[in-house]
Amino acid sequence: MKHGDEAKVAAAVRVIPASVDPPILPPENRETRQSVVRRTTTHLILAALGILFLAPMLWLLLASIDSQATYGVEWPHFSLINFQHVLTGSLFHALWNSVVLAIISTGIASVTGVFAAYALSRRRIPFKGPLLLFIIFTSGVPLAIMVIPVYEIFSRFGFLTIVPTAIFLSVTSLPFEIYLMKNFIDAVPIDMEEAARMEHASTFQILRLVIIPLALPGIAAASIFGFVNAWGSFIVPLILISPTNQQPAPIAIYTFLTLPKAQFGNMAAYSLIFCIPVFILYAVSSRLFREGFVLGGGVKG
Amino acid sequence: MVSAVASDTVTGPSVPELWKTRHDKERLQWGSFALLTPAFGLLAILFLIPMGFAVYLGLTNLTLVGPTAVKWGFTGLQNLTRLRSDTSFWQSLWVTGFFIGGSIVGVVVVGYGLASLLMRANSWMRVVVGGIVVIAWMMPAVTAGMTWYASTTQGGAFSVLTGLANTNFLDNWPVETVTIASVWSMTGFSMLVMGAALRNIPSEAIEAAIVENASSWQRFRLIVLPLLRPTMIAVVLLTALLTLANFSLIYIMTQGGPNGATNILPLYSYQQAFSYNNLAYGALIGNVMVLIATVFGVLYVRIASQRS
Repeated sequence: MKHGDEAKVAAAVRVIPASVDPPILPPENRETRQSVVRRTTTHLILAALGILFLAPMLWLLLASIDSQATYGVEWPHFSLINFQHVLTGSLFHALWNSVVLAIISTGIASVTGVFAAYALSRRRIPFKGPLLLFIIFTSGVPLAIMVIPVYEIFSRFGFLTIVPTAIFLSVTSLPFEIYLMKNFIDAVPIDMEEAARMEHASTFQILRLVIIPLALPGIAAASIFGFVNAWGSFIVPLILISPTNQQPAPIAIYTFLTLPKAQFGNMAAYSLIFCIPVFILYAVSSRLFREGFVLGGGVKG
Repeated sequence: MVSAVASDTVTGPSVPELWKTRHDKERLQWGSFALLTPAFGLLAILFLIPMGFAVYLGLTNLTLVGPTAVKWGFTGLQNLTRLRSDTSFWQSLWVTGFFIGGSIVGVVVVGYGLASLLMRANSWMRVVVGGIVVIAWMMPAVTAGMTWYASTTQGGAFSVLTGLANTNFLDNWPVETVTIASVWSMTGFSMLVMGAALRNIPSEAIEAAIVENASSWQRFRLIVLPLLRPTMIAVVLLTALLTLANFSLIYIMTQGGPNGATNILPLYSYQQAFSYNNLAYGALIGNVMVLIATVFGVLYVRIASQRS
């Protein structure tokens, strides 16, 4: 859910987020005493901020490898038993449910999204302007706050299960996915599509052979956004999934907190495992973003 | 083969005007609607219809269980009257305001501070500190809530670090603590976008100001701030929208307690609907939330569409 935030700001203000570029600042050519003091202060403040940001994570890391973990931060009695515990039984099943939920939701949002994005990018559509504004609006407004009416509707049809919930989750990420993919498809040179049309390619062939391969970084980034959105969602499955054996990992994490006897080590290990896919996908998608925005040399080929 | 196509389309001053205008683009194709239907159909069924339904639901007496769960109907403005005199609702609104306001200030100030400090730092520091802040932001809200719950309790990491090891922060300063946790979990994105915006500021502008003997405060106020304004506004609006909906973080940390001190609107809505079984009243509170989100959303659309 979170990882598109940066891209949303970028979409709004046309700033390309790139975290590794070297800074462009006037060179500090004279190593005066003043500049040494300044540099040292800068680094000290940064170190302090770094520690403050690290502190809450420290418990997670240490407790996960501690066989006798508590809420306190202490040197661990090193063991991997926590990881072993949480990768079995219902806890493992909850992770599997999360995978199912996220894949169904991402699949629906990405497939329907790419068609809509293509049409919005290339075709003449009446009321295209208002439609695009609607997309931008709904990509900013968190649709998960609509969960009560959706609950009432789903409960009438007996839809309080994993698949309908995945479909609702796909809708919550759909607007931003369309917006992102449209921007990437806009960057695909129209000449290539015209060349394909000359050869009497159908719309589906154009999508499959020209648009999707060339806008792939954008489509992948959008899909990753959808996946992370569904993966991390808590309130939607909490309300919309009633069978216990269909509930995903976030609900399992919450259940840890309600147990009469807290299992701190397992809790930390499980949360850490839950985070890993998000971290990996984020790393992939920030790379895709950097590639995607320099696309456009395709025609010179 | 592709380059042959590209070189055919010569566009010089001698090419007749007719060639340059595109005729194929203007035609309305029915196939376009077929492409739009799946996505917009889903949005209509699972966003527009529920939204309309929620407006109606807010004016009914639907409950989760009991006789009015089956036989329910329109009760007019009854729920609205109740809302007006509901002190828990007004408290919740105030808490929401504090939570959003505090998060915005924290996210913008800390994010800008980190971005500008990291630009002057050495590469090692940039990777480590920047990395930690970004990881904090990437963490799913449930996990972030749990780590903060663990580290602000008695003897937790944050408690020890601030020298108040025996204090339970969530009992003593509940709303402040959850706001700090929210800032912690969102600073990463504001740091990244502000860093990018800072790098986009032409160095000539700053050099010129240095030549003119402008103080660092003047440089910030007269050059950096005006150029950063659109980015900052976008960060503010998105932070507002995301904090408004940040159910998971607070639900995990405090469940809205103690005594409703952290009961932001989404939690109060959930509580009314699913703990007190007043589904209709919960929906009405949800509508208030949608209204607030719409205000921020419209502002967000305005700056986004101005730019493109």
